[in-house]
Amino acid sequence: MLEGGRGGAGLRRMLRRKSAIAFLMSLPLILVIALLVLYPAVYAFYLAMLNKSMERFVGLANFSFLFKRETFWMVVKQSIIFAVTAVFFKALIGFLVAHFVHNVPAKGQRKWRGMLLIPWVIPPAMSTLAWLWLFDPSYSAFNWLLQRAGAEAVPWLGDPYWARFAVILVNVWFGAPFFMIMYLAALKSVPEQLYEAAAIDGANWFQKMWYITLPMMRNIIAITVLFSLIVTFANFDIVRVLTAGGPIDQTHVFATWAFKIGIESNDIPLGACVSLFMVPLLAIAAVFILRDVNRRGVEG
Amino acid sequence: MTQTTLTDFRAAPPAGSTRRDRRRALYWSYFFLVVFVVFFLTPPIYMLITSLKTSQEISAASSPWWVFDPTLRNYTELLTSSVFLTFMRNSAVISLAVVIVTMLISIPAAFALSRMRFWGSATLATGVFLTYLIPDTLLFIPLYKIFAWLNEVTGIEFLNQWWLMIIIYPTLTVPFCTWIMIGYFASIPKELDEAALIDGAGYFQTLTRIFIPVALPGIIAATIFAFTVAWAQFLYPMAFTTSTDQLVLPVGIVTTLIKGDVFNWGQIMTGALLGAAPPLIIYAFLMDYYIAGLTAGATKG
Amino acid sequence: MGWSRRRFATAATGLTAAVWVRGARAAGSLRVGFWDHWVPGANEALTKLCESWAQRERVDLKIDFITSQGNKLLLTIASEAQARSGHDLLSLPLWYAAGYAAHLETLDDVMQPLLGQHGAVVPVVEYLGKQAGRWIAVPATAGSQMKGPCARIDLFRRHVGLDLTAMYPASGQPDKALADKWTWDTLLLAAEKLHKAGVPMGIGFGGTSDSVDSVGAIFAAHSAQLVSSKGDITVDSDATRQALEYCRRLAQFLPPDVYAWDDAANNKWLLSGKGSLIMNPPSAWAVSRRDNPKLAEQLWTFPAPRGPKGRFLPGLPYYWGVWKFAKNKSAARSLLTFLSQRTAIEQLVQASGGFDIPPYARLRDFKVWTEAGPPKGTLANYVPRDDQIVSIAGAPAPPAIATQMYTQALMTKMVARYAQGKEPSGKVIGWAASELEGYARA
Repeated sequence: MLEGGRGGAGLRRMLRRKSAIAFLMSLPLILVIALLVLYPAVYAFYLAMLNKSMERFVGLANFSFLFKRETFWMVVKQSIIFAVTAVFFKALIGFLVAHFVHNVPAKGQRKWRGMLLIPWVIPPAMSTLAWLWLFDPSYSAFNWLLQRAGAEAVPWLGDPYWARFAVILVNVWFGAPFFMIMYLAALKSVPEQLYEAAAIDGANWFQKMWYITLPMMRNIIAITVLFSLIVTFANFDIVRVLTAGGPIDQTHVFATWAFKIGIESNDIPLGACVSLFMVPLLAIAAVFILRDVNRRGVEG
Repeated sequence: MTQTTLTDFRAAPPAGSTRRDRRRALYWSYFFLVVFVVFFLTPPIYMLITSLKTSQEISAASSPWWVFDPTLRNYTELLTSSVFLTFMRNSAVISLAVVIVTMLISIPAAFALSRMRFWGSATLATGVFLTYLIPDTLLFIPLYKIFAWLNEVTGIEFLNQWWLMIIIYPTLTVPFCTWIMIGYFASIPKELDEAALIDGAGYFQTLTRIFIPVALPGIIAATIFAFTVAWAQFLYPMAFTTSTDQLVLPVGIVTTLIKGDVFNWGQIMTGALLGAAPPLIIYAFLMDYYIAGLTAGATKG
Repeated sequence: MGWSRRRFATAATGLTAAVWVRGARAAGSLRVGFWDHWVPGANEALTKLCESWAQRERVDLKIDFITSQGNKLLLTIASEAQARSGHDLLSLPLWYAAGYAAHLETLDDVMQPLLGQHGAVVPVVEYLGKQAGRWIAVPATAGSQMKGPCARIDLFRRHVGLDLTAMYPASGQPDKALADKWTWDTLLLAAEKLHKAGVPMGIGFGGTSDSVDSVGAIFAAHSAQLVSSKGDITVDSDATRQALEYCRRLAQFLPPDVYAWDDAANNKWLLSGKGSLIMNPPSAWAVSRRDNPKLAEQLWTFPAPRGPKGRFLPGLPYYWGVWKFAKNKSAARSLLTFLSQRTAIEQLVQASGGFDIPPYARLRDFKVWTEAGPPKGTLANYVPRDDQIVSIAGAPAPPAIATQMYTQALMTKMVARYAQGKEPSGKVIGWAASELEGYARA
C-alpha cells in the first residue's frame, strides 16, 4: 500500500524495526510464560523423579509407586467423575437458563442476567464457606428445613456419596452462570429468521433446538466445555474448603491430594508426580475438542 | 441443514397459536428463572442473614433463615480488627498491582500478536492459549520448590511473603487477558492503524493513541477479570504464605477465623461477605463490561 | 455475654499476628510461632509473659499464633523445614518434633537445668522429645492436653443410670467399684442407650487430630499396634481386628457423619446440646461456660475407659523447637528457659483454665484443676494419674512413619473403611499395610 521509492526504503526499515518492536512488546509475555509456567512445568517432571528428601534421582520410582496405590486410582476415578459430571450439568443448566433469559423481552434481560451471574463473581473460597455452613453437621440450614418437613437430616459431608454430591453441587452452582452468559451471547447471534422459517414449517421447540440452535452453537459449546473441563479437573478451592478430601479420601481430586501428600506430608516429589497426572488427561481433552473446533471452523 | 429437511415437518399450525405459544413460553421462562435465581442466590443471602446474627442467636438454633435480633457487631468487630484489615490491605495491594502488571504485559503483547506478524507470532498466540492447559494446581509444587531454592541461594525471603503473589498471579491473568485483547484488537479495522502509519505515527503511538481508546471496553473487561482472579486466588497464597500478617483475604478468613469456637460463624460469614464485596461491587457497577469481556470470545468463536 | 466482643476488641493485643515489642536491638530480634490456643484468653497470657521477657532481655519479639485448624500448623512446620527459613521457634505437636528432628537444634543445654529444677518429665513426653539421646525440643506447657471423655452429667444419669460425679468425684479419688466397671464395653452399652434416647455420643472418625487421638487410644487399649518400634509392619493381627470390630459396633451409635468430623465438630456437637459425650480437652467446657453457662454446669471431664490392655487416655503433648536455621538461637534458648519456670507454667495453666498440662510430673498439683467450675470438680479428674496410661496415637512406630500415620489419619481411615465402607477386615488390613509401606519410603 505504501508508495515505492522513498516509501520502499522506509518500508524495509520499518519491517526490520517492526519485528524488533513486536518482539519487544511480546517479550514480557514470553518471559512470564517461559519462566513462571513452562520452566516450572518442566521442573515438575524433574522433581517427580527425585526421592522423598530430594537428594537422589530415582527415575520413575514415584510413578510406579503411585500406580500401585489404591488411593491413587480412587483419586483418578474421582477426579474424572467429578469433572465430567460437573461440566455436564454446568453446560446443561447454562444452556437451559440461557434460553429462559433469551425468551424474556430484551429490556428485562439485563437484571436477570445480573442476578444469575452472581455466583461466578464471588470468590469461590468465600462462597464455599457459605455452603460449608449450610451443610454443617450440627447446624445445617438445609437439615433444619428437612427436619421441619418431617424428613431425616442428611449427612451432607459425612457420607461419601452425599459428600461427592455436595462437592459437585457447589461446583455446578459456581460454574453454571459462566456457561449461561456465554450461551446467551451465542444464542443472540443465531439469526431469528431461521427459527421463524422452522416455525412456519411446523417445527416444535425440540426440533428447533436440535436442528438450529445446537449446530450453530457447536463451537462455543466446545470451547466452554474444554475450558471448564480443564478448570474443573484442576479444582482446588471448593474441595479443600468443603471436605478437605474426606471422608476417607472419597472426595479428593488431583489438586487436593497433591497438596496433602506433597506439602502437608512433606513429600514434594510425590506431590509433583500426582499433579503431573493431570497433564495427559487435559491434553487428550484439549486435542479432541480443538480438533472438533478446527474442523467446524473449516467447514464454516 | 437445508430447506428440504424443514419441509419434512408437519403442516404449519394456525397463526394465532404462535402468539399463545410465545406467551406460554414466557411464563414458563419466568417461572424457571425464579427457580434458578433462588438456587443461585441462596448462599449469598444466607451469608448476609448469618452475618447479622449474634453468637447467642446461632447457638439458640432458631430458624437459620431469618434474623430475629439483627446486629452489626460482626461487621464492626471485623472492620476494626487489625488482623482482618491486614488481610484486606494485602489483598487490595496485590490485586491492584497484579492488574497493573497484567495490563502492562498483555496490552503490548496483544497488539504485537494481532497486528504485527512476526516470526513465531502464530506459535506464541497458540502458546498463550496452551498455557491455560497448565493449571495452577500443577505449578504450585515446583514453584514452591523453586522459590525455596532461591530463598536458600540468595538469602532473600521469598516464601511466606505476600508480595510473592504479585510475581506469581500474572501467570493466571496474563494468558486470558491477552486472549481477550487479541480478540478486541483483531476487530479494530486495519484501516485505522494504516492511516496512522501513513501519517507517520510509530507503532507505540498507534497503540496508545488509537487502539487503547477504541478497545477500551475490552481493556476494562480484562482489567475486571484480572482483578477478580487475583482477589479470589486461594491455592497459591495457601501454599506460599503461612504467617497471619502475610495472608490474603480468602486464605485468611478460611484459616484464621474458623476456630474450635462454635458460634463464630456469624463472624465467618461476615468475613466471607466482606471478602466477596470488592468483586461484587465492581460487578454491580461495571456489569456490562464484565459480560462483554467474557462473551468476546463467544461471538468471535 | 460480652465475652466474644471483648475477645475481638482485644484482638489487637490478643489474636493479632504480630506483636512487636520495641527495645534496643542489643539482643537482636526473635520470631516465634505458637499454637493458637482453643481457650479464649490463653494466647493473651502467653503474649504477656513473652513481652515481659522481651522487655527484660531487650529483644525485638514477633509472635505469630498459628491455628491447628485445617492443618495450618502442620503446613507451616512442613513448609518452613522445606524452605529452611521462617520462625526461629515454633510449637510442634506430638510426633512433629521427633519427625523433624534432623532440622531441629539440640536443646540439652536448656533441658538439663530444667530437669534438675522440676524433676523428670513424664515418660511419654521424654519418649517423643528425646531422639537418639538428645533433646530435640523443649516440652511445652501451652497446648499440652489430654483428650479424655467430657460428658453430660444429666444425660448419663437419666439414660445410662451412671452418676459420673460419683464414679470420678470432685475429690479426685475415684470410686473403685464404679471405675473398675468403666470399660470400653461399658461405654458401648452406654452409647447404645444414649443413641436410643436421641442424644448420641460424638467420637470423631474423621481425619483430624481429635479423631486420630481417640481411635489411637481405642487401638492401644486393644493392643492393636500398627508398626513396631523397629519399623516392622505389625498391623495384621487379631488385636487389630478386635479394635476395628469394636469401632464398628460403636459407630452404629454415633451420628452418621462422624467420618467427616474435624476438630471443631465434636465441640459443636456437645455445645449444641445434641451430644452426650465427646473426647476432648476442656476447651469445649471453657467455651460453653462463656456462651451457654447452663450447659456448662452439666459437663464433667473424667478418665477414659479401660480396655483389655489398660486404661489409655489420648494425649497430645506440645513442644517448642528451635530450627537449626534459626537466626537467633541464643534468644530462643533464653525464652524457652523463661517459659519453663514454675511461675510461668503456673500462669499459663491458670490462663488456659486448666486445659494445659505441664510436662513435668511434679508440677501437676496446681489448684486450678480442683477449683475449676461450675460445676465444681469438673476438671478434678482431667490430669492423668493412678492407672491411666497416656496414649500417643501411632506409638511405638518410628517418628518418620508415625508422622505420616498421623497426618494421613491412617487409623481412622481403617475404621471408616471397615465400619462405613463395610469392607472385610482382611482387605482393610491389607490396604493399611500397603499404606504403611508407602510411609516407610525414604
